[in-house]
Amino acid sequence: MASTSGRTGGIFAIGYVGVILLFLYVPILVMMLMAFNASPLYQLPFDFDLVWFKALAGNDQLLTAARNSVLIAIANTVIATTLGTLTALAFARYHFFGKSLLQILLIPPITIPWLITGTAMLIFFFWTGIGRGLHAILLGHVALSLPYVVIIVGSRLKSYGVALEEAAATLGANGWQTFWRVSAPLMAPGIVAAALFAFAISFDQFVISYFLAPVGVSTLPVEIYSAIRKGFTPEINAISTIIILASMAMMLAFARFSKFGGER
Amino acid sequence: MSVVGITKVAKRYGRVTALEDVSMTIADGEFFGLLGPSGGGKTTLLRSIAGFIDPDDGEISIDGKPVKNIPINKRDIGMMFQNYALFPHMTVTDNIGFGLSVRHRPKAEIEARVTELLRLVRLEGFGERKPRQLSGGQQQRIALARALATNPRVLLLDEPLGALDKKLREEMQFELKQIQRNVGITTVFVTHDQEEALTLSDRIAIMSEGKVLQIGAPRDIYERPRTRFAAGFLGTANFFEGTVSGREGGLTRILLAGGTAIFTRDEAPEGRSVTIAVRPEKFTVGGATPAPASDAQVNRIAGRIAGEVFAGNSVTYRIDAAGRIVTVYMQNRMTERLGPDAPVTLTWDPAHSIVLED
Amino acid sequence: MTALVSASTRRLRAILGLTGGTYLVLLITILLPLAAMLYFSFLTVTPIGGRTASFTLKHYTDIFTKPLYRVNGQRSLMLGFQVTLICFALGYPAALFLARHIKNRWREALLLLIVLPFWSNGLVRTFSWTMVLTDSGLVGQALQAVWPGAPSIDLMFSYPAIVIGLVHAYLPYMILTCYVSLQAIDDSLAEAARSLGASSFTIFRRITLPLSLPGVVAGTVLIFVPVLGSFMEPRILGGQQAIMLGTLIENQFTASFNWPLGAALGFTMLAVVILIMGICYPVLKKHLSAN
Repeated sequence: MASTSGRTGGIFAIGYVGVILLFLYVPILVMMLMAFNASPLYQLPFDFDLVWFKALAGNDQLLTAARNSVLIAIANTVIATTLGTLTALAFARYHFFGKSLLQILLIPPITIPWLITGTAMLIFFFWTGIGRGLHAILLGHVALSLPYVVIIVGSRLKSYGVALEEAAATLGANGWQTFWRVSAPLMAPGIVAAALFAFAISFDQFVISYFLAPVGVSTLPVEIYSAIRKGFTPEINAISTIIILASMAMMLAFARFSKFGGER
Repeated sequence: MSVVGITKVAKRYGRVTALEDVSMTIADGEFFGLLGPSGGGKTTLLRSIAGFIDPDDGEISIDGKPVKNIPINKRDIGMMFQNYALFPHMTVTDNIGFGLSVRHRPKAEIEARVTELLRLVRLEGFGERKPRQLSGGQQQRIALARALATNPRVLLLDEPLGALDKKLREEMQFELKQIQRNVGITTVFVTHDQEEALTLSDRIAIMSEGKVLQIGAPRDIYERPRTRFAAGFLGTANFFEGTVSGREGGLTRILLAGGTAIFTRDEAPEGRSVTIAVRPEKFTVGGATPAPASDAQVNRIAGRIAGEVFAGNSVTYRIDAAGRIVTVYMQNRMTERLGPDAPVTLTWDPAHSIVLED
Repeated sequence: MTALVSASTRRLRAILGLTGGTYLVLLITILLPLAAMLYFSFLTVTPIGGRTASFTLKHYTDIFTKPLYRVNGQRSLMLGFQVTLICFALGYPAALFLARHIKNRWREALLLLIVLPFWSNGLVRTFSWTMVLTDSGLVGQALQAVWPGAPSIDLMFSYPAIVIGLVHAYLPYMILTCYVSLQAIDDSLAEAARSLGASSFTIFRRITLPLSLPGVVAGTVLIFVPVLGSFMEPRILGGQQAIMLGTLIENQFTASFNWPLGAALGFTMLAVVILIMGICYPVLKKHLSAN
């Protein structure tokens, strides 16, 4: 009896979660579908065409913005992953005065609304002469990614503890040997996961970039936003489709790596 | 091989004293146990010898040379960690060979040594496995092999058998002792398990609250505990508090609170309040009307059975005697069962009445 | 003795070297900018381009006295409450089902599917609703085909459209935080309660719900705070008429160039955010330590 009620419960549960998934995915799927429809006004019937993807190739503004986005995302990934990993190491291996304060300082970048951090950076950068531009956008993205890198790498470090490094030391390994032969291989899945995450955060970030982009310079999300506000065309659907698929692929890779980490 | 000297070592964490005035010398080739409750300071001491902890005071030396300024990786120690700390991303071979490899030894030498060690711990053919493919007992032996690989001067074991289940633990105790004997390495190990300490150690240091209470061979500590704590932590003991009331025929007489007198061979000044410890297996339980006192040099008190726990080969009695409950272990070879409330007489040799220091 | 000194200096140097970069970045991107923002919020005009500014409290007194700000502030808070409530109503059952009724492989796959869109571009996801919330679109046509005379779903440039877009954006947060709390509850607790005679409803009310509360609170904070600061979603889905605190702040920086007013509005919002976090911190801490 218990098993029958458990079973119907399970089917109902999957049905409910299915409806939630429908709500989450239908708009995205419709948008993707419309990228392949010939009509410039999203009119039906559906007429398969790759014209909007082809148009992207000739849209210099979008292409430049896309290149900026990728470059910033790569730079952000390198900088945030490096700095964040070092900080996670410090937190995991040292107990020192002020450590909890430093850990608390990681919270504002991810909890204060981006609108506030973005405008605050705009004020400060303009005022001090750092100015707006790709470098300012990059700085902002690094700030947003760092806390996540510290958390992801930190939890990986926590999962295997200090005993392995201590063991290496008793066996005669110096700091360098311990790092390269024990710590680094064990941290690697966490670092890869954090790097993917940092890339995705930067590549998708709109608000900070929006406030820090001067006229004539933009990233892909900023460009898309202004295109949407100007009145949109299926060309936006085409580029959006590419972005969504790219970030989903990245998150799948992230999920794989962070799970890979959990298994060992 | 090596002698470890520990002189007046102290370590404080804020207001908590982890080690206080700890001194001992561990002889060459000795298997030395640090026994005590958790938080007693034994792990702090072991980690100080390893170099993970820098004592505030005192000196630790190996072969007469202070190790204070020698970093962990140059101390030439082998350590086995509580959960073994085997490198999960390396094979068994790479784990065992790690110490030699970071010392840049030739490949052939490492290979030969790993093979030799795998044979020593009886795990030939397991070299290509990853640690997670091994059972707990196998991991334990690999951890031991890894710690021995570089022929360190001192072997440190942190709760070496703590992660194993009871049956495996008993097997491994024997094996660990065997390997230590064969290799002849000076070994310090930490345990909170009294049985483990008794069976493995050549000598034991009992530690509590950062202090060393007693150091000695297992038998000496068991038979002659100096403090209540040592008597109670290593084995079980019955305590009798009383006042010294004189000497008779080479024995010291102690008057207990209820008026009963008991005797000990130990000497103590008259009038002093003392505590006497008697191990539960030292008693003999007799009938209510004992044979006439042919031998005055025997302690004899009357009591009543208050409870029994039957354990097959032995029986534990709780006996109400001299105003307290006395625990008595008996071999199960009585012909008649002693029922509840049965009147009995407890006798024991005054040599087994130990006067404690506290 | 020298070795001891150098050991502690070495340690300090290592800590500084390892954490220095991160905190230098956070200093110039978060701490100093927020300080600059606070400073600007007390200035009469933006002190850039040769203009001289003087100290004033005017922006703050305006914010608390002028109806424009009060009304929009209330609208933003209301939006936050509504979106959070709907996310809870939809997300908690989903989390409960995932934690209780759905088994390993399915559960993993469904969780991944729920998180996946969450980490894709928020702007693009908001934009995607413009394809759905019209009667002439694919969904509208399909709805009319299966249900002639169905109510119109032409909600573009209306308040409900903003709510739908924001719920879509933040629902996964609620599902995830509630799920984490729910799956941490030991099954034997419910069994123990049942053995003591509790009904399913009582078990839910007295055991499951209270124990999962930290997850609910975490989800609430994670949703309410960004909704309060949202401006892109109202702009895209609500059109020109949708004025929220967020869009008001954006305006000061992108259109009116009244940075001091924008800074004062931003700081007022930040105060609300900090207040919410402060109230929820004890429960949030529990949620974090539970993981």
